[in-house]
Amino acid sequence: MNRFIQALEKYLMPVAGRVAEQKHLQSIRDGIILAMPMIIIGSLFLILGNLPIPGYNDFMSGLFGEQWLEKLMYPVGATFDIMALIVSFGVAYRLAEKYHVEPLSAGAISLAAFLLATPYEVTFTPEGTNETIMVGGGIPIQWVGSEGLFVALILAILSTEIYRKIIEKNIVIRLPEGVPPAVAKSFIALIPGFAVVCVVWLVRLLLEITPFESYHQIVSTLLHQPLSLLGGSLAGALIAVLLIQLLWSTGLHGAAIVGGVMGPIWLSLMDQNRRIFQADPNAELPNIVTAQFIDLWVHIGGSGTTLALVIAMVLRAKSKQLKNIGRLAIGPGVFNINEPVIFGMPIVMNPLLIIPFILAPTAVVAVSYLAMSTGLAAKPSGVAVPWTTPLFVSGYLATGKISGMVLQLVNFVIAFAIYYPFFKIWDKQKLQEENQSDQSTQHVA
Amino acid sequence: MNILLVCAAGMSTSLLVSKMKEAADSKGVNVTIQAVSADQAQKHLDEIDVLLLGPQVRYKLPQFKKEGEKRGIPVDVINPADYGRINGQGVLEFALRLIGEGANPR
Repeated sequence: MNRFIQALEKYLMPVAGRVAEQKHLQSIRDGIILAMPMIIIGSLFLILGNLPIPGYNDFMSGLFGEQWLEKLMYPVGATFDIMALIVSFGVAYRLAEKYHVEPLSAGAISLAAFLLATPYEVTFTPEGTNETIMVGGGIPIQWVGSEGLFVALILAILSTEIYRKIIEKNIVIRLPEGVPPAVAKSFIALIPGFAVVCVVWLVRLLLEITPFESYHQIVSTLLHQPLSLLGGSLAGALIAVLLIQLLWSTGLHGAAIVGGVMGPIWLSLMDQNRRIFQADPNAELPNIVTAQFIDLWVHIGGSGTTLALVIAMVLRAKSKQLKNIGRLAIGPGVFNINEPVIFGMPIVMNPLLIIPFILAPTAVVAVSYLAMSTGLAAKPSGVAVPWTTPLFVSGYLATGKISGMVLQLVNFVIAFAIYYPFFKIWDKQKLQEENQSDQSTQHVA
Repeated sequence: MNILLVCAAGMSTSLLVSKMKEAADSKGVNVTIQAVSADQAQKHLDEIDVLLLGPQVRYKLPQFKKEGEKRGIPVDVINPADYGRINGQGVLEFALRLIGEGANPR
């Protein structure tokens, strides 16, 4: 087992370091964060529109008129449906920051590049007909929301790379001194911005003569669909969680590292559910594995489902050390923050505790997937509950059903049962150490 | 003195911040301590005297070391045991020691 940990440290650590250090992945992760508050705000309205209380709909209609739900959903559209626009700006901004070039210009150029890649056509069904026609002159909501996420990510990186290279080669228009800096800065972006627009425009013209017709079609066919299938499967979720745990076992922030890669996939799977849920709260939702699945049903108490372990420490620890750690860790643990357990117990580099630390979350993934796929528990509705939301509250809000809470309770119990024997062994060991050191100090005294 | 703590989201380090402030108050040391996420850290580099990384983001050490050297700021990783036990006093002493060493004539 010790050799296993040494091997982890030796082989995983450099790879993890490189993935986490990778500028583009970092920028994707940090840029997506810009969209998260918006999505959470939108979720609030989504929850308000779909409270599972009998008679709620009639009550609201009586109070605010038949159109109440439609009007309540305005903010939902303005947040979820422009996800790709926000991300397009955010990722370019963060990447430019890392290259130490003007981030605001990079964000603006990226946004223009993304819209240049998006055909200004929306579908429209005239009244009294079943025929759908294409109408020009509108930005299609379909592509600026989660469906366009991957195009936004690719173009944000591409455009910022072009922008930075040209700035670094110093092919820019510099205004004489004395011109206000804000004006001078916008002129610096002129030539790089022009280059980005030309490249994206030419590629679009080329794509239009292929059978794919647009950036969105080609990225969706070659990237979005296959990645979503893999990332949304049980095997995909198990591999992701296993990697998160292995990374944390060496003391590295596994969720942040794996999330950098899986984030966009889980986010778009979440939004697929949201759109269907919004149209009909009782409809069958397509995805089980989403951002919420991992955050709320697997990371109960933090990565490794450690809230169960902390409760075991609080209730049953006999050694002073674990009693103390339990007391320290319970507060943050309720909000799914668990660094005190991971580094304080410690779990990191601990051959004994790494076993349940890997077993518990993987078991919980399998059980949750099974429960949701057989319909025993509700699937996440696409409501984005912040990952710091306490157990039970989060399960209820993210599904709108009691079964979401019940599954969290089941997961907690499973994790408790897996951690308990290992916790007992470790506690006994600590207690012995404490007794021995007590005796030796008494002896000296 | 200005101490900056960095972790993935700035969540768990903020626990440490309050404990470190307690320790500083009881020792009568005048310090400003902040916790931020790694992507926010860049902005604060010019106003701090020492940067400490949470052990879970220690892969960022080379990157921040480089930034620190440019500005003459010491950068290091917090001891995992101190981090886990939210040992405010230990981490504060560590930070002050690093600042002291950094201030020595090189």
